[in-house]
Amino acid sequence: MKPIRRRSDKPFFLVMGGISASFVVLIVLLLAADVLFTSSQDFADALGKPEIRAAFWLTMLTCTVAAIMSVFVATPLGYLLARFEFPGRRIIDVLVDIPIVLPPLVLGLSLLILFHLPIGPTQWKLETWLRDDVGFPVTYRWPAIVLAQFSVACAFAVRTMRVTFDQINPRAEDVARTLGCTRGQAFMLVALPQAWRGIVAAGTIAWARALGEFGPILVFAGATRMRTEVLSTTVFLELSVGELDAAVAVSLIMVLMAIVVLILLRSLRLGLST
Amino acid sequence: MSRSVVVIASAFVVLVGALVLLARTDSPRPRSFDGGTNGSGGSPDETSTIVLFCAASNRAVMESIRGEYESEFDRHVQIQYGASQTLLSSIEVSESGDLYLPADDSYLALANDKSLVAETIPIATMNAVVAVTRGNPKSIQSLDDLLRDEVRLVQASPDVTAIGKVTREALGKTNDWRRLDAATTAYRTTVTDVANDLLAGAADAGIVYDAVLHTYPELEAVRLPELASINSKIAIGVIASTKQSHAALHFARYVASRDRGQLHYAKHGFETTLGDVWSDVPELSVFAGSMLRPAIDETIASFEQRESVRVSRVYNGCGILVAQMKAGQIPDAYFACDTEFMNQVPDLFPEPINVSQNELVILVQKGNPHQPASLRDLGKPGLRVGIGHEKQCAMGWITQNTFREGGVQTEVMANVTVQTPTGDMLVNQLLTGSLDAAVVYLSNAAGAGDQLDAIQIRGLQCSVAIQPFAISPTSPHAQTASRLFAAITASESQENFLAEGFRWELR
Repeated sequence: MKPIRRRSDKPFFLVMGGISASFVVLIVLLLAADVLFTSSQDFADALGKPEIRAAFWLTMLTCTVAAIMSVFVATPLGYLLARFEFPGRRIIDVLVDIPIVLPPLVLGLSLLILFHLPIGPTQWKLETWLRDDVGFPVTYRWPAIVLAQFSVACAFAVRTMRVTFDQINPRAEDVARTLGCTRGQAFMLVALPQAWRGIVAAGTIAWARALGEFGPILVFAGATRMRTEVLSTTVFLELSVGELDAAVAVSLIMVLMAIVVLILLRSLRLGLST
Repeated sequence: MSRSVVVIASAFVVLVGALVLLARTDSPRPRSFDGGTNGSGGSPDETSTIVLFCAASNRAVMESIRGEYESEFDRHVQIQYGASQTLLSSIEVSESGDLYLPADDSYLALANDKSLVAETIPIATMNAVVAVTRGNPKSIQSLDDLLRDEVRLVQASPDVTAIGKVTREALGKTNDWRRLDAATTAYRTTVTDVANDLLAGAADAGIVYDAVLHTYPELEAVRLPELASINSKIAIGVIASTKQSHAALHFARYVASRDRGQLHYAKHGFETTLGDVWSDVPELSVFAGSMLRPAIDETIASFEQRESVRVSRVYNGCGILVAQMKAGQIPDAYFACDTEFMNQVPDLFPEPINVSQNELVILVQKGNPHQPASLRDLGKPGLRVGIGHEKQCAMGWITQNTFREGGVQTEVMANVTVQTPTGDMLVNQLLTGSLDAAVVYLSNAAGAGDQLDAIQIRGLQCSVAIQPFAISPTSPHAQTASRLFAAITASESQENFLAEGFRWELR
């Protein structure tokens, strides 16, 4: 019998690698162009500005809050959508995607309208009530940043958690319930530990999404220096006055932040998986 | 305790910790505002921060003005930067903020159309130029050079930007716009995007405002004759819904004053308009004919309260006012009873604007006991007639003209027992019974309609006086005076004029 001649796999890897490399190379080139456009002095100047340092910390804090809140909301919502059929499920499934497809400025404008819409004969407004009665104004303050980031980031987190729970076989939870667990115990003790990788992924995506958020923040929270200016708005403000060097330097700071946080979250995911 | 609970608890602790840190970043400085030293219009809201919605393109100059203002007055200005249209939408929806400073005044016109802005104060002017990289490597010297194939021309969109719009309007009158449009490689949504394209090497030329180039040392301006007439203005508007007009106007005046904010604008490459001399509480002086007092005094008082300024009013016969001005007392604004008395000081007030009309009437006691029905009847023997003084007030001058035109001057003057500098005095004398008839303005009778009757003088156009308003070009507070004029010609003020017997002249 004539032995089967094994063909080389090189063409496969060349084609696959070539296609894949096109995207990776594009990103590398983009970063390289940014690095070449700026200088270490621009970095030093950018980091030396108290406004940019304040924007850095505000960005870190708001992104973290938005990401954690997103995971807290996305986990039960993703679980319910993945596990149960209930009235309105399809509608909710579509609704949670709306912040993803909505143009960012429209989302910001919608938030602004929501908080300032006069309702009823008394012309009751949510913002006025929060400001005057609760003592916690939202518009043009840091809560507006968090809310704008959360509105988009949570949608991505829900989508991630939905896929995560879809991929986890519900049989283990069913078995736990036959052994006496309540639904809550089955969720906490069986489903959740299996979903850790997805939860961390959802948190990662939510954090990254919040970091890049710009349009809704500009409309709903404004861009007040030292108060509501996050790094994405810093880039916009620097571009507006022709400070391209500073804008690129801040952009690269955002890239570095994202890399550090993504590495940390990947480490966490690996730790939780073991 | 399961690992899930531990991780959730840890995340919760991180969340709370981050929220606490965020809350600590948000500590607005409570500052008191004491600009309203005249004590009018004070309110608890004036202790809060001034919120300015400012075009991002003005950030550099506004930050330097803000720093100086805050150090001079120890008051806080919170500035929201953004695109002009986005900021306008925010103001419209949130009904918040105190001031709006867009990239050019076309947005203020939009805001005005929507009644979002109450006052507008001009600051500077920007002219259209062609921006090229320093050294002008493509040798662009004329409009035709922009049409060359190797020149990548970028413009700001004529649909969404002011410079694009005014460029299209100006060049559209000739064939230049069509040629420029065909040669344009791309349209951008802001003028700074055009400059950024040049900086990034994506374009060779772009039409921008000259002031924009101040922050682009790598670029230079080429001034073309076709663009020479194209300009836009920078102005600051007071948001109509502001609850702290004193504080808002205080900062707005500071930004627009020639020896404060405008110095910064000039330093940043803007061509400044002639602003007011800075004053913490400006004092305006206004000369006005006595007959105008009932129509304008309430408006002026409201103006003082809203702006936190002082307006010194001098009401008198216009002849006396003119004599005072010729003697060297120059007011910031002059509101004359008739054009004749404005025309006597053309050097001081070269650009008067006619505002209202007032007609002469014969005023008699209720029921008209002596029964004069026309000018000629005022010559009846024994009638005691009062008129305005010909030299001291417009009313007297117009009265004499009317008598002459009516052919009754000799007869009526024989009965004239008193000539006063103001109509009010004649009304008082009629009320006390020391006169039988007086020739005064209809507005003089407005407050005594229940005790006096007015008889119209028919067929003599010269019996109608026209009241012009003018601002002294040498006034150190010309802008404030302009806002006073805007208040006097506003619809609420027009109603006051009509109620006092005036007719509205200004179109």
